[in-house]
Amino acid sequence: MRRLSRRLRYLSCALLAAALTGLVTVGVGWSRTEAGTRTGKVISVTERDFRIKAPASIPTGRVRLRIRNLGPDTHELIVARLRGRQLPLRADGLTVDEEALEPLHPVVVEGMERGKGTEVSVDLPPGRYELFCNMAGHYLSGMHRTLVVR
Amino acid sequence: MRLQRSVTFRPLETRGRRVIGAILVTFALVSALSITLSLRAIGRSRHQAAVVQVAARQRTLAERYVNEVLLAHGGRRADPATTARLLAQSADVLLDGGEAPAVNGDDDETTLPPTSGETARLQLQQARRLVHDLTAAGSAYLGHRPVASVPLTAHERITATDPVQRLRILAAVTSNVSLDAARTIATRADRNVGRVVTIQIVLGVAGLFASLLLSLGLIAVTRRQTAHFRSLITSSTDLVLVFGREGCRYVSESVGKMLGCPPSEMLGSGFERFVAADDLAGLRAATEQGTPSRVLFRLRNRFDEWRNLEANVTDLRGDRQVHGVVLNARDVTERVRLEEELTRQAFHDGLTGLANRALFRDRLDHALAQSARSRDSLAVLLVDLDGFKQVNDSLGHDAGDQLLRDVAGRFAAVTRPGDTLARLGGDEFAVLLEGANEPMAKNIARRLLTSLSAPVEIADRSLRLSASIGIVTGRVGADSDDLIRDADLAMYAAKEAGRGRFEVFRHEMARELGELLGLEHELRQGLELGQFALYYQPLVDLESNAIVGAEALVRWHSPTRGLVLAERFISVTETTGLIMELGAFVLREACRQITAWQAAGTLPEGFVTWVNVSGRQVSAGGLDNLVERELSRARVDPALLGLEVTETAVVMEGAAGDRARRELRSLYELGVHIAVDDFGTGFSSLGHLRQFPVDVLKIDRSFVQGVEHDPKDAAITANLTSLAHALGLVALAEGIESQSQRAAVQELGCDHAQGYLFAHAMTGVELARLLAGDDAGLEAASA
Repeated sequence: MRRLSRRLRYLSCALLAAALTGLVTVGVGWSRTEAGTRTGKVISVTERDFRIKAPASIPTGRVRLRIRNLGPDTHELIVARLRGRQLPLRADGLTVDEEALEPLHPVVVEGMERGKGTEVSVDLPPGRYELFCNMAGHYLSGMHRTLVVR
Repeated sequence: MRLQRSVTFRPLETRGRRVIGAILVTFALVSALSITLSLRAIGRSRHQAAVVQVAARQRTLAERYVNEVLLAHGGRRADPATTARLLAQSADVLLDGGEAPAVNGDDDETTLPPTSGETARLQLQQARRLVHDLTAAGSAYLGHRPVASVPLTAHERITATDPVQRLRILAAVTSNVSLDAARTIATRADRNVGRVVTIQIVLGVAGLFASLLLSLGLIAVTRRQTAHFRSLITSSTDLVLVFGREGCRYVSESVGKMLGCPPSEMLGSGFERFVAADDLAGLRAATEQGTPSRVLFRLRNRFDEWRNLEANVTDLRGDRQVHGVVLNARDVTERVRLEEELTRQAFHDGLTGLANRALFRDRLDHALAQSARSRDSLAVLLVDLDGFKQVNDSLGHDAGDQLLRDVAGRFAAVTRPGDTLARLGGDEFAVLLEGANEPMAKNIARRLLTSLSAPVEIADRSLRLSASIGIVTGRVGADSDDLIRDADLAMYAAKEAGRGRFEVFRHEMARELGELLGLEHELRQGLELGQFALYYQPLVDLESNAIVGAEALVRWHSPTRGLVLAERFISVTETTGLIMELGAFVLREACRQITAWQAAGTLPEGFVTWVNVSGRQVSAGGLDNLVERELSRARVDPALLGLEVTETAVVMEGAAGDRARRELRSLYELGVHIAVDDFGTGFSSLGHLRQFPVDVLKIDRSFVQGVEHDPKDAAITANLTSLAHALGLVALAEGIESQSQRAAVQELGCDHAQGYLFAHAMTGVELARLLAGDDAGLEAASA
């Protein structure tokens, strides 16, 4: 009986050690938390193959864009001022020429995998804006949405 | 059975082994888990690399397909259908597994497993739909059908209407989605590898931690066991020594304690300087060869004491832990001493250190055997001290013991070195003279007697001793029992013949002894049958020649022996206890006689009848009651009775002595007269006499007999007389046999006298007649 309990003690010591090590390792992962501001109205933006869902218009001022990619492919979200009907394309005719966009408060969220998301705080002046994904062919396959800020 | 048990393998028998086992099992488990995980991770990575390669290839194929469609549409040679098929096949294989086709022979056919992971599968499904849309659009374009009307299955919403633009958008999306899937798969593989690495780290750390804990446990167990054994060794009184090739390698603390020297000084050859020289060779052999298994040796410690050690020798030279011969030694000094003492005690007399009866018998047996071979003669002397019992009774046993030691020393001084001197018990000594004939034995006996001539000083007293010696010489066929018995008879004969002398054994002695043994029975019978009678010897005043008293003397009218005087049987009655009855008889008879004399009116004024009281009667107690009873029974005035006691009663020690003196004092106060008999031969001192109730000192006849010609005897008599007078006592000289003696003692101051010169002992009737007559009657009686 005594011998058995002593053996159990050794075993539990070993298990405890293993558990402690595991906790430390996982804890390091958990300690990474997402940063973000907590002010302004939340605007939900959802992306999937191959469309972007967002409100047609929002009031001016600081808002928080809660962006979420439902996949299955990886997508970006770029917010750019829209002049005219369409954004300018690069020479390949397949992607938007980001260099030619108006450099006014552009919002660029790159490489969101399926199921991932983020929040971005923006303060957009009134006007027409285009939300789009600029991965090869995605813009032309329908991944864009016009947003009016009043 | 026992052998079987000893060879049974029991790996978990001790705690240390169990801990080591636990460490090994932990390592094995952790290692097995780690290796399995690694192998699985490697296998999966290899598959996933192939998947990524095939997925990435789809991009190339999609672009090639568009170019081939455009070429074919322009009438150039191209095979877009094959590329479309490769695209579709690859998309299927990527999703569901199977054999991926080779493209242009620049890569081999690859077998892929079905892709796992939800995102990757969703992406691959999307890629397959896009491939379908792309090839459908291509087919429509080549078939000159409107491309914009081809239905899209992957949710793409292409607004461009130009067919080439549409094709290029579809190809771009297809290649993008395929690459995305490839990246997802690669990322997943990376994540898997990362997870494996994490698990490996966790396992490694956990294993390390567990091993550390178990090792600590092992150290604790080992330390506890080591401490256990160390404390066993250090607290043990057993001495542990380990010897190697270089000499002593380890000694336990107990060795240091015993030798009074730090253990470090005993290492190497340092130990040997403590070992007795005689034992060194044996000890060296044991420590160098590991045999014999037990060795005895002596050590001398710092305090110059010799210690005896008994060691068990264990040869552990083959043992890797010890590499030496181990001695487990015990200090057996006390045991050895005890054994030697017991041996000595078994054969020696504890009081005198002489040989005892057992050793004497042993020596005598050997000597007899020796003389039977060599025809050498031998002699046995048996020595018995005279009057030793009196010393013991009067001065106590301590004085008696001291006397025996003194006598033993004197005897040892006069015997030859080869002779065996023994104390057989009590006051009996024996000497074995090997190679001695009768004249030589007599010579030794004389020397023994002479050695006693000087007085022995004991308890502030000077005692004069004598001894009776029986001699027997060896003869053919006699055994030791015979010789000792015969020597005893001869000794007895010497005692009978007057003590202070020796007798050589004669065969007639045996018969005489037999007579003596019969004496007691006859005496007892004689007492019952009234064969004893009292005779009275007058005591005379030297000045007036008047009869002032008489000493009652008991005699035995034996039907077989005739008239026997008291000296012949008193000692026998004393040793047998018959003296008590005889004493009572004498008192009763004396009182009866006094009454008779009184009735006849023959007793002169102040006449005292003296009765002898044995020392044994005095020490037994109850003398006062006995005397008072007899006096009152006979209605005799106590002043008419006198008791003669020996010096023994005067000086007797202890409670018995106190009681005896108390009883005598009570009789004295009653009026009974007390005389000290044979004064001068015992050991009484002036101090004793002063405290003792006494009227008369009777000076022993041994002094009186030489008083007329021996100045020493005369001086003693004069001294005793003046001592008596100084104490207010009457001095009486015993044994006066001639006129010159009478004149001498009268000259020296004696008051009264007794002896043949005046009158022999006579019956009561005769004495009455004498008393009734005049002095002439006395003169006539003494003539």
